[in-house]
Amino acid sequence: MISFSIYHDIEFTKTVSAVENWEECVKNQEIIALLQEVLTPDQINTKEEDLYDASADRYKKYAKARHVLDVPMPTAIVYPKNTEEISRLLRLCNTHQINVIPRAGKTATEGGLENWKDETIILDALHLSHIINIDTYNMQATVQAGVPLQMLEDELRPLGFTTGHSPQSKPVAKYGGLVATRSIGQFSTYYGAIEDMVVGLECVFPDGQICRIKNVPRRSGGPDIRHIAIGNEGTLCYITEVTVKIFTFYPENNRFYGYLIKDVDTGIKVLREVVVNGFFPSVARTYSEEDAAQHFYHFHRGKCVLLFMAEGPKGIVDATCEAIERAVELHKDGIIEQVDSALIENWFNNLNWSQQDIDDEFEGMKEHDAHSGFTTEISADWETIPKIYHNVMKRIKEEYPRAHDLTMLGGHSSHSYINGTNMYFVYNYDIHCAPQDEMRVYHHPLQKIIVEETLKLGGSMCHHHGIGKYRNEWTRSEHGSAYYMLEKLKQAFDPNGIMNFGTIYYQEEGHKFQQ
Amino acid sequence: MKEELRLVCLVKFVPDVDAFSYDFAHNQLNRNYVRMILNPDDACALAFALQVKKTYPSTRLEVVTMAPRSVEHHMLDLLRLHVDGGYMLTDPLFAGSDTYATTTILSSFLSQLSYDCILTGTRSLDGATSHVPSQLAEALGLDHMQDISRIDLESIKRQRPECTVEYEEETVTYAMDMPAILSLTRTSGYKLPYIAYEDFEKDVSDRLTFITHEQLECSPAAIGFSGSLTHVVDTFAQEHERRNRTIVQSDEAGIEYVYAFLKKRGYM
Repeated sequence: MISFSIYHDIEFTKTVSAVENWEECVKNQEIIALLQEVLTPDQINTKEEDLYDASADRYKKYAKARHVLDVPMPTAIVYPKNTEEISRLLRLCNTHQINVIPRAGKTATEGGLENWKDETIILDALHLSHIINIDTYNMQATVQAGVPLQMLEDELRPLGFTTGHSPQSKPVAKYGGLVATRSIGQFSTYYGAIEDMVVGLECVFPDGQICRIKNVPRRSGGPDIRHIAIGNEGTLCYITEVTVKIFTFYPENNRFYGYLIKDVDTGIKVLREVVVNGFFPSVARTYSEEDAAQHFYHFHRGKCVLLFMAEGPKGIVDATCEAIERAVELHKDGIIEQVDSALIENWFNNLNWSQQDIDDEFEGMKEHDAHSGFTTEISADWETIPKIYHNVMKRIKEEYPRAHDLTMLGGHSSHSYINGTNMYFVYNYDIHCAPQDEMRVYHHPLQKIIVEETLKLGGSMCHHHGIGKYRNEWTRSEHGSAYYMLEKLKQAFDPNGIMNFGTIYYQEEGHKFQQ
Repeated sequence: MKEELRLVCLVKFVPDVDAFSYDFAHNQLNRNYVRMILNPDDACALAFALQVKKTYPSTRLEVVTMAPRSVEHHMLDLLRLHVDGGYMLTDPLFAGSDTYATTTILSSFLSQLSYDCILTGTRSLDGATSHVPSQLAEALGLDHMQDISRIDLESIKRQRPECTVEYEEETVTYAMDMPAILSLTRTSGYKLPYIAYEDFEKDVSDRLTFITHEQLECSPAAIGFSGSLTHVVDTFAQEHERRNRTIVQSDEAGIEYVYAFLKKRGYM
């Protein structure tokens, strides 16, 4: 270990393992010196433990827990305190070709926060932590990028309102990350996804340009430029502030339904029947037998599970419940039995992952050759989604050479729309390889099959986790001829390619980390 | 010292009982998703054998199991750990064998092999079959030590393994003559190595041999259902008392209820 303390109060402790890394080390010192032109020492973090943590996100969680990550550590994590500092930082990085990884809640799952460059700074939203305004008359709230979703929800609930956004990462996730990755919540079928909630935002581009998109109910002023920032995964700009819709909360009206059903196809048909008739339960889900077994051990009986939660004003809830009951009746040949709605309600109340859950899994991975599994989420129209599901199951069982190591392979549909739904493939396995080989032996081949089958049938390979760094090899296939537009955005807003190298856009230089 | 040490590792694949789930509503075990795994005690025995082979590369290590063909994948993975050869004793006639008939089959096969030591696990996850190694020792005329938590690596090369056994009150180290059967426990902590990445795709099927009853010198009447003195009269799922279910929320009232419940029963 080489320790520097030549720059004011900053102690630089990034490990230098070989003489040839000396040049990199000097570069890193120069970067720290540059950062000090903009930030105070307490805003620059170079602790080795934190840099290691910042090297990768939950995609390589197992290798990370075992301390065998194969990617470089970033140079520093920086904590700007306002938009102007972010602007200056980005301009500085743009001038000096320093890679920037924007970060907020750290719950990324697809490698979006993984570092592939020797000279990188992590731009963390730690100090952008203020709720700026809650406007219950105009039904919108404005928050800085580092505000935890749970924090806003906790402020809204006593007022009788909700964000309507509830991803499983709700206790940990922050608004900057939620918007940058086009997040979706568990009640999306009723409230919509994050892109349906964002009415305006502020973001900063690599050249330092600060842009504010005003908060209006609708506009027709040309293309909807909110979507240049929403879902950019830190590759085009840094989101500093967002204004989202809020919703009146009616928890007293919530009603739950659960059914054991014959197969996934039946469940998809019932979901479709409800949604295409104009009803939007906040939760509408179908689980395969295997996935149901891990979620509903106390009642699944080896069957698929269909469940609903109706939410909103009483009249809407009543009408939605009638629609659910009608749809179930219409497909009664595939319904085995109804289950106690209290079981469904109880399950929902304990679904979210807290920071403690994440930490517990991390600690468990240090000791055991196991983790809590992986997921790959895709979407397609109603007609196609069952085909993709069955094709994937068939291919994995027939082609995947380590199929006998799979301890779980299944899926569920959890977000429905008028023209289709998603499929959340879930899988876990006994790990018989070294921790550093886990992704290429297990997760990558499984994910490849899922993505290939989805793209082959015209679906989207990424429903709500984003592309990150490990699906970028299929970004062109995902967008087809429209990739032209995506590519032009990158060229226009980040011509020097300093924003989150390797995320969304395939990079030959980073391919070695995908092997 | 003997130039080439010959080790046989006797292993069993068992249902992953940790993966069982229980249907509380109907008081029954869900067996639909049960997978087979290498019995943990046996895994420790094999892990030790691989350590010996790594330390003394001239060691020849073979793995023997009596199992249905469905565990072939698992056996191939053991061969990918640089085990020299594997034998799967697989035949419909073996089905229904009790521990005595199992011993008959295994001893018949093992008597055809050349070995200095048989390593295996002490206990099995899937039932009370830990007497099989002792029965085998009797059938093969070998000494047997069980509950071993450590074997001195060098001593096994000297053909006089020093085995540590932990009792409740004391820890005793025994020196054994070889050939012998040594049964390890999972408390030994010997851990199987990972399969090397380059070996995952390796075709090792030529090192796996399937053995049927025709290759054994034991009468069909002495094995399987017909050779088993233990007759199964009936099988049934264990009855559990049906209990009333109370669902509480993760709120103050729920916490209060659980606290009162635990307190009433003396847990708090």
